[in-house]
Amino acid sequence: MAVGHPLDPYLRTDRLPTMWCPGCGLGVVLGTLLRAIDRRIREGRLRRENVAFVGGIGCSARMTLYPLFDSAHVIHGRAIPFALGVKIVKPKMKMIVVGGDGDIAAIGGNHILHALRRNADLLVVMANNMIYGMTGGQLAPTTPRGLYTTTTPYGNPEREINMVRLAAALGANYVARGSTTHPQLLEQLFYKALAKRGLAFVEVLSTCPEIFGRHIDFRSPVDLYLELRKRIVVKAKPSVEESDYNWEKGFVIGEFVDKDEPGYIEVYLDYLSKALEKQPS
Amino acid sequence: MRLEILIAGRGGQGILLLGHVLGKAIAEHTDLHVLGSETYAAETRGGDSRVDLVVADREEEADFIKVVRADIALFMHQLQLDAYKDLVGDGAVVFLDKSNVTEIPRRSWRIYAEPYTDIAEREIGTSRVANMVALGHLVGVTSIVPPEAVESVIRETVAREWVDLNIRAFRYFLRLSPHRQTEE
Amino acid sequence: MRYEYVTGNIAVAEASMTAGLKFYAGYPITPSSDIFEYLARELPKRGGHVVQFEDEIASINAAIGASWTCAKSMTATSGPGFSLMLEALSLAVITETPLVVVYVMRTGPSTGVPTRSGQYDVLQATYGFHGGLVIPVLAPSTPQEAYDLTIRAFNVSEELRTPAILLSDAVVAHTYGKVAIRERGEVEVVDRAKPSVPPESYRPYDPLDGIAPPMACFGEGYNVLVESLTHDEKGYYAPRTDAQRRLMWRLYRKVVESAERLFDYSAAYLDDCEFALVSYGPTALSARVAAKLLREEGYRACLVKLRTLFPLYEKGVRELLRGVGKVFVVENNVGLYFRELRGVLRDKEVISVPLIDLDVPPPQEIAGVVKEWL
Ligand SMILES: Cc1ncc(C[n+]2csc(CCOP(=O)(O)OP(=O)(O)O)c2C)c(N)n1
Ligand code: SF4
Repeated sequence: MAVGHPLDPYLRTDRLPTMWCPGCGLGVVLGTLLRAIDRRIREGRLRRENVAFVGGIGCSARMTLYPLFDSAHVIHGRAIPFALGVKIVKPKMKMIVVGGDGDIAAIGGNHILHALRRNADLLVVMANNMIYGMTGGQLAPTTPRGLYTTTTPYGNPEREINMVRLAAALGANYVARGSTTHPQLLEQLFYKALAKRGLAFVEVLSTCPEIFGRHIDFRSPVDLYLELRKRIVVKAKPSVEESDYNWEKGFVIGEFVDKDEPGYIEVYLDYLSKALEKQPS
Repeated sequence: MRLEILIAGRGGQGILLLGHVLGKAIAEHTDLHVLGSETYAAETRGGDSRVDLVVADREEEADFIKVVRADIALFMHQLQLDAYKDLVGDGAVVFLDKSNVTEIPRRSWRIYAEPYTDIAEREIGTSRVANMVALGHLVGVTSIVPPEAVESVIRETVAREWVDLNIRAFRYFLRLSPHRQTEE
Repeated sequence: MRYEYVTGNIAVAEASMTAGLKFYAGYPITPSSDIFEYLARELPKRGGHVVQFEDEIASINAAIGASWTCAKSMTATSGPGFSLMLEALSLAVITETPLVVVYVMRTGPSTGVPTRSGQYDVLQATYGFHGGLVIPVLAPSTPQEAYDLTIRAFNVSEELRTPAILLSDAVVAHTYGKVAIRERGEVEVVDRAKPSVPPESYRPYDPLDGIAPPMACFGEGYNVLVESLTHDEKGYYAPRTDAQRRLMWRLYRKVVESAERLFDYSAAYLDDCEFALVSYGPTALSARVAAKLLREEGYRACLVKLRTLFPLYEKGVRELLRGVGKVFVVENNVGLYFRELRGVLRDKEVISVPLIDLDVPPPQEIAGVVKEWL
């Protein structure tokens, strides 16, 4: 009998292998996330039937296809409002939004903006491969300046978005950046994020060897992995000022914000209780 | 039975409240069905205010939102009388605020013209309830809805400090003989 | 049951609560906002949720999410907002998510005359989303119909697991009427079917013997899959022609084959009718008066008011108008629903009477146009 993988109980094993390209970083993102969930479930901090995944569209959003939990694979950019709709009606749910940098920072920009403003009780995992993978290598708001993409063939002239800074500025309870090159730290960030009320935002620098690697001439997954790893600076408790998003100078990863302010759901339920007081007896 | 009622005046004369109270009283306190539309020129204070009510005993006969040929009309101002007189059918019962209407067209209407605004000012103490004076007259003459029903709607609808004044104004013509037809 | 004198918008809000609304998400837009505001006050008192989102896109996606907790969900909007919702409407179609969208039409295109009316979006309501399927569209002409059809929209949406559109407009929205408001128990309320099998054997998109699959919801241990990709009965991506065919035809049939049951209309003077005025929404009220005016002049005119616009029960419409000579389709746009009816009534002379008016086309004008053709 074949020996199962320790994460098998959390996977729709009949759907494996995944659709991701060999060497894609997304497997690491999902693996570390599931390990963190497993730890929280074992601790009794999470109940399995209350965990749900929601993703938009993109290679990253397809992380919703494999976990054996309630899952929704919806439309490009709109995972956050879907997840919040669930959360408002069933506050006991642990809603995990997974998506790419296009899904969350570009087309979903308005939704992440307001989810952050609300400190909405969601775990948002943004897998940042610095490119549009699924659609074949177009510009992302996270593509480093100067790099080739199929829609900026003369080199990306635009400034990149720093989602860590945005999330911190708008008041998320938890803001972290991890990297698939540092899976243990990544799992630890997820583990921490899963216990937070309010919005927990985790950006994950990830490798897309198939598209991004090809664009920058690191065609083998290992080479791209090493190239990204070279640019990662690990810090225990970096400040938001240190979060600069810069391909040349490197990326600081770690926990940038860890607060414990009331999340949206608490504030909202308090508001609801005012309406209930008005109920005629 | 099917009746079209047109109520019109200038903005600020309380036309919408008058029409709303009448429509609500009919809908909630009689077996009749009613459709009502309330329109006003938002841009100009003093512009047209108008309420159209279509009232019928069968639901499918309360079938339109605009007056095509009014059976009952109430004009609180000359401008709207001039503008809408062609919507009023022959034989219609027409109420006019003589305080604001000086020229009455020659039509085969049954006309009740009283100085509602002056009465309100003189008898109740404020011209702001002229609309209710007129409504009392209309209800008294047409008996379209029981006066008590209108009063209970006034209590529900009007801000508390205004209820008494409005009810006093509404009762003014009901206390007098309501069938005093004034002009032919 | 109690009678109230309320506008079409308030009738919609009241009806939605009777139908079991639990979640409303919206973004303000004239002339739909008073539905939102009324519910914001009333629904929380009855244990429901009302939230303003950052735009219409978020609103409808949140409503879809909420529906996957098995909460009955609704949003209301007008043309500009509905246009933003179309992508998600398509999501609701393929994921078979029960959802009611109240579309209060206003004068367009674009910002048009935001406070006034029109019927320009009658085809967009069902054909606007991508994917080429049909969703139910119910069109009230009075506050009472707005009330009754809102409840029906919820019921259809639950029964067929489809988004359903209540197609109102600025006129119905703000017209007052006597409305019979019913409590739960005084009116038929349908709730979506739930699975009767344990999670291990549950297939989320398998209709079994019914019209629509039983629906397990989030947080019930069923490992639900909401899937926007073409999927098989398990909800797994199935990029194959056979799976696409199976899914498309099932989604198409469950709505179109309900046309007979959903068919709803009323008629006046049909018995001796030679010329039928067919209309919908508040324009149908005007057309009814026009028919009356024509009859006073000796023309044998009649009125057919359609309340179910989609799916159109073609056989029913043909039968209804069998004895009629000419059919006039009266609407407040450039002549849109006319195209639907002309396709169905191929053996008849079908004439478009498109009359653009910021409120409703006046009956005299309708009668005048019709007379030109007689
Ligand atoms: C409304 C809409 N616009 C465009 C697309 C096409 N599209 C699919 S995925 C995607 C971007 C994917 O990039 P990202 O979100 O970064 O995810 P990745 O594939 O890189 O993981 C785009 C543009 C779509 N599905 N829907
Ligand atoms: S295209 Fe890139 S991101 Fe998508 S699966 Fe392949 S390697 Fe991963």
